[in-house]
Amino acid sequence: MTRALKYLALLGYVAFLAFPLLWLLSTALKTPREMALIDPTWIPRRPTLANFADAFAEQDLVGAGLRSLLVAVATAVITVVLALPAAYALARFRGPAGKIAIGWVLLSQVFPVVLVIIPLFMVLRRLELVNTLAGLTVVHVVFVMPFALWMLRGYVRAVPRELEEAAAVDGAGRLRALAAVVAPLLAPGVVATLLFSFISSWNEFLFALVILKDPEVETLPLTLVRFVGPEGVARLGPLAAASLLATVPSLVFFAIIQRRLRSGLMAGAVKG
Amino acid sequence: MSERSGRIGKAAANRRRGGGVRRLGAALAVAAVALAAAACGSGDGGDAASGRNGEPVKLRFLSLAWQKESIQANKEIVAAWNAANPKIQVEYVQGSWDNVNDQLVTSFEAGDPPDVIHDDSPALASFASRGYLLDLTGKLPDELKNDIPQAAWDTVTFSDGKSGQGVYGVPFLQESQVLIANKKLLVAAGVRMPTPDAPWTWDEFADVARKLTKKGAYGVAWPMKSPVNKVLNLALNFGGTFFETRDGKTTVKVGPQEREVLRRIHDQLYKDKSADPSALGMGTADPLPGFFAGKYAIVPAGVYLRQQVAEQAPDGFEWVTLPPLKGQTSQQGAVSQTLSVAADSKHPDEAVKFIAYFLNGPNQAKLAKGDWLLPTSTSAAKISALTTEENGWDVATASAKDLVVAPFLKVNGYDEWKSKVATPAMQEYFADKISLDELATRLVEEGNKVLERYSR
Amino acid sequence: MTALAQRPYGRVGGARRGPWSGAGLPLLLPALVPVLVFSVGPLVYGILLAFTDARSGRNTETSFAGLRNFAELLSDGDFWESFRIGMVWGLSVTVLQFLASLGLALLLNQDLRLRGVARVLAVVPWAMPPVVIGLMWRLVYHPDAGLLNGLFGTHVDWLHDFSLALPAVIVVGVWTGMPQTTVVLLAGLQSVPKELYEAVSVDGAGAWRRFWNVTLPQLRPVIVAITSLDFVWNINQFSLVYVLTQGGPGGRTRLPMLFAYEEAFRYGFFGYAATLGVAITIVVLAVLGLYLWRQAREAD
Repeated sequence: MTRALKYLALLGYVAFLAFPLLWLLSTALKTPREMALIDPTWIPRRPTLANFADAFAEQDLVGAGLRSLLVAVATAVITVVLALPAAYALARFRGPAGKIAIGWVLLSQVFPVVLVIIPLFMVLRRLELVNTLAGLTVVHVVFVMPFALWMLRGYVRAVPRELEEAAAVDGAGRLRALAAVVAPLLAPGVVATLLFSFISSWNEFLFALVILKDPEVETLPLTLVRFVGPEGVARLGPLAAASLLATVPSLVFFAIIQRRLRSGLMAGAVKG
Repeated sequence: MSERSGRIGKAAANRRRGGGVRRLGAALAVAAVALAAAACGSGDGGDAASGRNGEPVKLRFLSLAWQKESIQANKEIVAAWNAANPKIQVEYVQGSWDNVNDQLVTSFEAGDPPDVIHDDSPALASFASRGYLLDLTGKLPDELKNDIPQAAWDTVTFSDGKSGQGVYGVPFLQESQVLIANKKLLVAAGVRMPTPDAPWTWDEFADVARKLTKKGAYGVAWPMKSPVNKVLNLALNFGGTFFETRDGKTTVKVGPQEREVLRRIHDQLYKDKSADPSALGMGTADPLPGFFAGKYAIVPAGVYLRQQVAEQAPDGFEWVTLPPLKGQTSQQGAVSQTLSVAADSKHPDEAVKFIAYFLNGPNQAKLAKGDWLLPTSTSAAKISALTTEENGWDVATASAKDLVVAPFLKVNGYDEWKSKVATPAMQEYFADKISLDELATRLVEEGNKVLERYSR
Repeated sequence: MTALAQRPYGRVGGARRGPWSGAGLPLLLPALVPVLVFSVGPLVYGILLAFTDARSGRNTETSFAGLRNFAELLSDGDFWESFRIGMVWGLSVTVLQFLASLGLALLLNQDLRLRGVARVLAVVPWAMPPVVIGLMWRLVYHPDAGLLNGLFGTHVDWLHDFSLALPAVIVVGVWTGMPQTTVVLLAGLQSVPKELYEAVSVDGAGAWRRFWNVTLPQLRPVIVAITSLDFVWNINQFSLVYVLTQGGPGGRTRLPMLFAYEEAFRYGFFGYAATLGVAITIVVLAVLGLYLWRQAREAD
C-alpha cells in the first residue's frame, strides 16, 4: 500500500468515528430554530452560547464532573493494580484453580450484570455503601475487573516465555526479569486497560442511578439524562453542550496516556 | 459494562417488613448477602429514621421535570415549601423519564424508594398492584380532592392487587392529542378552520389532508414510533375500547369500533396517499423539520409538542393548534402525570401534606405552563395564562373536557401486550405488510394468550 | 530466533501444572476477593431465581418451580425469533468490528504523521456519553433531515424499513464498539517484540508474510480475548438499539436481552426473566467455549 492510500484510509476511519465530535460542537452552538432545519448545517449561522449557559445553570456539571473524575481515576488505578499480578498468575501458572477463576470471570461477564442489580444493591446496603462514591467505585472496580483480568492475561501470554527466562538466566533474577523485560512489553496493555476502566467508569449510568440518591453525590452521566424527556424528545442544545464537556476529559486522558501505547525499551534488551 | 451492557435488571426479594415477604426469595437474598455481611459484620444500615428528637423530617422528592421553565417552577415551589415548613424539609431529586422505571423498580424491591414520586398513570397501574404505592384514599384534603374532576381521579384508581381499589397518586398534568397545523397552507387550501365547538370530523380531516397534499408535500405526518397508546387513545373517538371484561376476565376485542381509527390512518397512508409513510418510524418531535419546511401541513401530537414548535419555528412561520378530531365523540384516553407516596416511606403523612401544597391551584398553573400540558385542577385551568390564544393555549385547555380514562389503563398485562403483540403488529399493518383482518386476529389471539398469564 | 517466530505463543516454554504452582494464589487473591464478595452472591442468587416462580411486588410469594420455566421457554416462539436476531446481530457486529478495528489498528501502528491525533479522534465513539449516542444516530438516519440521506441524496427511511433496519443498527453497533477493539489490538501490536520482525526481515519476507507469520500469531491471544469479550458485550446490548428503533419495525430489531429486561423490570416476572438470562448465558458460553477451544487447538 502506498503512503497516500494509507493516509486516505486513515482519513476515512477518522471521519467515520469522529464526526460526532463536530456534530456535538455544532449542535451545542445552535439555536433551537437552526436545529429544526430540514437541511442541517454544520456551521451554525448564528452561534450562541445559550446552551452552555442553560446546561450549567440547571445542572451542577462542574461538581458532578469532579466526582465522576474521582470515581473514574480511582477505578482505573485500583483495577490495574489489583488485576496486573493476578493476570500474570493466570497466564503463567496454569492449574485447576486458575481455570475456575477464568471461568468465573467469563460467566460474570456473560450473565447480564444488571440481572443481578437488586441483590447487589442489598449487599451494598448491608455494607453501608449506598449513596457514597466509595460504594460506586467498589462496584465499578468489581465489574471492570473481569475485562482487566481477561485482557491483561492475553497480553502476558503474548510475551514469549523465552524472553523472560532468558533474562532470568542472564542472572537478572525473576523479579528483575519481570521489571526489565516483561513490564515494558506489557505497558501498552496496561494503558489499554487503564483507558477501558476509566471510560467505563466515567460513562457508567445504571449503577450510579441506583446507588447514588442525593444531588450532593451524583455523577456526570446522571445529570446528562435530565435533558431527555418522555418519548425520546430531548433538549438537544443543552444536552450537546453538556455532552461535549463530558466527552473531552476522556479524550484528554487518552491523549496523555496514548504515548505509552508503544512498547518501550524492547529492542535490544534481550539478545537472543 | 456501562453503555455496552445496557439496562437490564431482575430479581431480589423484599427483605423489609410487609405482609407477604416472599419466603424463598428472602432466604435466597439472605444467602446472597451473607458472604458480605459476615465479612464485615455490619448492622442493619439504612437511613436512620429522622424526625425524632425534634429533628426535621427529610423527604426525598423524585421529580421528572425536564423543561427549563418546568424545572424552575418545581424548584421554586419546593423552596417555598421548605421556607414555610422548617420541620418537613424536602430534597428535590431530579430523575429522567428515560429510565425512571428502572430506578423505581430497583428501589421499590430493595425497600429504599423516594418518599414522593413523580410518574404517570400508566406506570402507576402495575406499581399499585404490586403494593409499592400508598393508597391515598381518605388521606387527601377535601380542597385538593374537589379541585380535580373525577375523570382525572379515575386515571389513578387501580386494583390493589388483592381485592380492593385504591387511589395511588394525585393526577396533575394531563396530555391530550391535538393537531398542529401550518396556518398558511390551510388558508391557501381554503379549508374550514375548526374550533373546539365545531371540530373537524375524521371524514373532514381526510378531505382536508387530501386537499393539502401536493407534489412532494403531504397533508399529514403520523409519527408512529410508539403507535399503540396513540391509536388506543384515539380509538375512543369511535367507542373503540380494545378490551372487555366479562365475569372478571379481561380479553382483547377488535370489532368495527376498534378498527375505525386504524383503517382511517391506513387509508391516508396508502389509499389517499395524503400521509407520508416515511414519517411512520418517527418519534413525536421528528416530523418538525419537515413541518417547518412545508412538507407536512398537519402533525397530530400531544399538546406538549407546542413548546418545541414555538421554540423552533422559523421566523414568519405561522402555526395553529387545532382541536382534537371528532368521530362519534371527541373523547380520548387521558394520560396524566402523577405524584405518589411510596408504601415504604417512613413519613407518609408529611409526604401527603407536601403533595397537597405542591399541587394546589396556583402551583398547578405554574407547572402546567412550564411543561406545556393541561392542569387537572379546575381552578388552575381558569387562569388567563392557560386560556390565552397565544401558542394555542385556549384550544389545548379546552380539549381537557374530552379526556376520559382509557380502558387499557386498568388492564393487567397491558404493558406486555403492547410491547410484544400490539407494537410489532401495528407497525406491520401501517407498513402495509398485513391486512386489517390479520392485525385484528393477531391482536386478539396472541393478546389473549398474554393476558392469561396475568390471571393465573 | 527464527524458530521462536514460528512458534509464537501458547505452550512456549510449557505451562506449569499443579493447583497453584508457586506464587499464583497470593497474586490472584487481591483481584478475586472483591469480585467474589460482590458478584458471587448476587450471581448465584440470579441463577437460582430461574428455578422459581418469583414475581415482583411486596405481597407476592415465591416457590420452587423446578424446570417449569425452562419448559415454558422452549415453546416461547417470540423469544427464539428474537434470539435468532440477537445471534445475527452479535456475530455480525463482532466480526465487522474486529475486521474494521484491525485495519485501523494496523494503520495507527504505522509511522504516519498525525497518528497521535488520529488515535485520540478514533476513540470518540467510546468517549461520548451513551445517552447522546442514540439520539445522534437517530438524526443521522432521519428520513427528512438526516445526514445520511443528505450525503447520498436518497430518501430512505433507514430505521423503519423492514429489511434495512437491522443492518442500520448493526452499523451503529460496530461504530460504538470499534474504539475498544482498536485500542486493545493496537496495544497488542505494540507488544510484539521487535526481534521477531528483525528475524523474518533477515529471511527476506514481504509485508504480507510478516503480517501473516509474525503479527497475527503473536496477536492471537489478544485477538481471542477481545473478540470473545466483544461477542459477550454485543449479545448483552439492547438499550442502544432500543433507543434507535424500540425493537421495530415489526420486531425486526428486538434483541433477546430486551426480552429479559422487560420480563423483569416491566412485567415483574423475575423467575422467568432469570430463565431467559440463564438460557442466553448457556448458549453464549457454548459458542464461546467452542471458539476458545478451537483457538487453543490451532495455537498448539
